[in-house]
Amino acid sequence: MILSKLRPLLTKNTTALGLWRPMSEHRVFPMEPSRWQWNKFKDLFHFYALVGIIPLSLLTLYANVFIGPATLQEIPEGYTPKYWEYYKSPITRFIARYMLADPQQDYEKYLAYIFMENEKKQLRQLEKKIKDKMAERLDYQAYYYRPVMAKYHRISREAFDYLESIRGD
Amino acid sequence: MAEAEPRNVVEKFFTSVANVLVTPTVWVREKIVEPNQQSYPWYHQKFRRVPTIDECYTDDVVCQFEAEAQYKRDRLVDSNILSILRARFEDCTLYEAPDHLEKCKPLWEQYEDASTNWFIKYGDLGGYHNVKSAYMKQKHRMIWERRHGPVGSGKKDTE
Repeated sequence: MILSKLRPLLTKNTTALGLWRPMSEHRVFPMEPSRWQWNKFKDLFHFYALVGIIPLSLLTLYANVFIGPATLQEIPEGYTPKYWEYYKSPITRFIARYMLADPQQDYEKYLAYIFMENEKKQLRQLEKKIKDKMAERLDYQAYYYRPVMAKYHRISREAFDYLESIRGD
Repeated sequence: MAEAEPRNVVEKFFTSVANVLVTPTVWVREKIVEPNQQSYPWYHQKFRRVPTIDECYTDDVVCQFEAEAQYKRDRLVDSNILSILRARFEDCTLYEAPDHLEKCKPLWEQYEDASTNWFIKYGDLGGYHNVKSAYMKQKHRMIWERRHGPVGSGKKDTE
């Protein structure tokens, strides 16, 4: 059925353009204004609403209605509060408890680190002072000492003695 | 301050207009939110006192670091105390409006003393100072006072 429609196309305009071969149906691209901005808006709206607004507001509702903020109280006798019990909001408490480290632990680790680095610093300072003194006085057989190998001095003295003995006056 | 009862028709009208928004909110809070909330405590952290910078040896970095942390905390506390005194004076001025000059004078004296002391201890040290510069400021002030008398009484000529 199609071929019978196409054959007249093949044979009709042969006088004008030679053998004219369109080889397609009569469908054209619809000419209309761009819907790119509208589509992009829908994409962004869906993204921020479904991934951002809805989960975060559900989380916030749950945290505020079913858990609620903490009440400020005096520290009971003989009890040291855990480090996450110093915050009011349940979300902050959650983050401090499960995601962040104990601030006291970090503080004490840092104290240990600077103590060790200070020990190293003092050792290096002492070594530098000793080296400077040795450089200044050149009196110690350590740094700035140029060793002499007696073997080569003996060889050259032997050679000198032999040469003198065969030289004559 | 508790909500005052409306005293006349105008106040009753405006209170009822406001209640269009207030009553549902209060109902939701009292019937839905508060029964479901859990009750549990949070605390203000209490820090132990550690030796201050004038009690630390010069090569004891651990002592110096802890003294610096304590100094920063104390500075924060003192700044907030000053803010509270300032707010007290300002609230008194707003409340007592026409005769605030006499009624708020004691609060003003208190605030001025506190801010003078704050500036003696923490002022003019720059935005990024440490506890050593604050300590040296105190030392320099004491030396100056030894030579010239109390601060504010003029500089004596070197004899």
